[in-house]
Amino acid sequence: MLSRMQLELAAVAVVFVLGSLAVIGALEHEIGWASDGPQAGYFPFRLGIILIVASLVIGAQALASGARGRELVLSRESGRRMIGFFLPLVGYVAIAQVLGLYVATALYLGFVLRAMGRHGWQATAGVALGVPLASWMLFEVWFTVPLLKGPLERWLGLA
Amino acid sequence: MANFDALMHGFAVALTVHHVTLMVLGVLLGILVGVLPGLGAPNGVTLLLPITFSMDPVSAIILLTSTYWGALFGGSTTSILFNIPGEPSSVATTFDGYPMARDGRATEALTFAFMSAGFGALLGVVVITLLSGFVTGFALRFGPAEYFSVYLLAFCSFIAFGSGPPLKTIVSIALGFSFATVGMDSVSGAMRLTFDFNDMIRGISFLVVVIGLFGIGEMLLTLEEGVSFKSADARIRPRAVLSAIARLPRYWVTMLRGSAVGIWMGITPGGPTAASFMSYGLAKRMSKRGAHFGKGEPEGVIAPETADHAAGTAAMLPMLALGIPGSATAAVMLGGLMIWGLNPGPMLFIERADFVWGMIASMYLGNVIGVILVLATVPLFAAMLSIPFTIIGPVIVTVCIVGAWTVAGAPFDLWLAVVFGLAGWAMKKLDYPIAPLILAMVIGDRAEDAFRQSMIMSHGSITVLWSKPLVGTISTLALVLLASPFIAALRRSLRAREQLPPAQE
Repeated sequence: MLSRMQLELAAVAVVFVLGSLAVIGALEHEIGWASDGPQAGYFPFRLGIILIVASLVIGAQALASGARGRELVLSRESGRRMIGFFLPLVGYVAIAQVLGLYVATALYLGFVLRAMGRHGWQATAGVALGVPLASWMLFEVWFTVPLLKGPLERWLGLA
Repeated sequence: MANFDALMHGFAVALTVHHVTLMVLGVLLGILVGVLPGLGAPNGVTLLLPITFSMDPVSAIILLTSTYWGALFGGSTTSILFNIPGEPSSVATTFDGYPMARDGRATEALTFAFMSAGFGALLGVVVITLLSGFVTGFALRFGPAEYFSVYLLAFCSFIAFGSGPPLKTIVSIALGFSFATVGMDSVSGAMRLTFDFNDMIRGISFLVVVIGLFGIGEMLLTLEEGVSFKSADARIRPRAVLSAIARLPRYWVTMLRGSAVGIWMGITPGGPTAASFMSYGLAKRMSKRGAHFGKGEPEGVIAPETADHAAGTAAMLPMLALGIPGSATAAVMLGGLMIWGLNPGPMLFIERADFVWGMIASMYLGNVIGVILVLATVPLFAAMLSIPFTIIGPVIVTVCIVGAWTVAGAPFDLWLAVVFGLAGWAMKKLDYPIAPLILAMVIGDRAEDAFRQSMIMSHGSITVLWSKPLVGTISTLALVLLASPFIAALRRSLRAREQLPPAQE
């Protein structure tokens, strides 16, 4: 599904973009060397250049890697497992932004255990409700660290 | 004798009911974190860090270091019983530990692992104790230029001795530094690399990055490779424990060699993972029974374990004394020290002697408690892994996401954790080393401040890095290390060209 060379090139592209961002961001400031030493943009600018150069060299090496570059780093089956894990995670974080961490945690665990793990309703409900409850005890009560709350907690008068 | 007095004072600090309770709690949490896949020592310590913000620094560091010891022990447990390393640094333990367990010698293998690990750890602490007095002697000679040269040395030694290809190590370090510059510049007050996003003004927290790279990244890796826990018999037989302890002194050469390798790799930032592999390799080459390695040889368990733990404890010395962490977990703790308002460096030994010596004393106690607790709880934690991964995995994910929130209480950080999770998976796949990135993020600001302060002092002249013998020696050594892998590669390619037969026309 994904060869080493494809992944190498994708990684190098990300590094290149991050390096360019560092250079662009640094140019908003002085990037030179004043009498009191380097200015605010001095380091970000040079770090960006290092990243850009390194990404180009690594990219060239990857293109020249031959047989090693063609070997698979992700088989179709592993890829499917990974996507099956990753998409619910993205959904979890998206829901947490709106409904808060407690509700999102319960929904995420409920979905993953039932749909992906194929566990029974009892085990699913136990874990999906048990973990948020335990987090509530641990964080809100014991450590008094408030977690992200949403409409449900406000409606219940808990936030 | 000043060290001995200070150590006794440290024991007085560490030996309170409150602190011993924290040690027990830390070790147990650590074992849990070490046993569960996807949660390792760096990640476990990161998840606990926000809870310590309200503690006093001595209690906080005792909790965190004890968690670290526990995680190291827990990692060895799964290596031996399940052939699954709970920690990267216990990979080498699987080579001989699992075959031993498969042959019904699990108790023996575990006892050898824990006892030799405890031995390595204690030897590491003894070295720290002896060297600490020496460090305080240095303290007053350290200015910004010296600090910067030491940071430079740390990064150059990563490039020279690290596990990854040098160019990819440089990318990791540069990325870490770049992430560290995001947000308000502490010298000029300018907003750097924020691109007018409000969420970027706070900067990127290294704790969120650790949770993503190590926690979620590790989960992705575990999942993609597929896991199955097939436990060897996890029952502990007391008689086998005693007989293994009785036979342990026979392996004193392996233990001393492993400790020496570990202490060296811990103080120079080579880290526990490299130390355990190096120690295993050395033992295999030098042992009379070298040919039996890989088939269940006790020496093959003892060698990596002593080195792993010796490196883990020894990494605390450069962290305290110079502000350079010798491992990813030490880097997280270093970040913790700064958040608690302590200033790591030689002056810490003078200004906060109670903290330093309380911590060193707790390292003696924590490791002894660790050996006892881990032996006692092996069956319990082994049973825990019989819970299907389709339940444990998602629960660990929620722990990571909730942990990312507790760092700063920012919804944006949850997204960061997910993105860095994917990045962590790719970095592991492509051999980009992760520890240098974390290290660069933690000390990036300090390194830049130290550099700019020394430049202000010298009116912008770089020669300040060679202005005094101490700083000059460190800077030169750093540049030599930086150049060494590239010179070696050049020499290799030249030699290869000489040996090539003349081209056939």
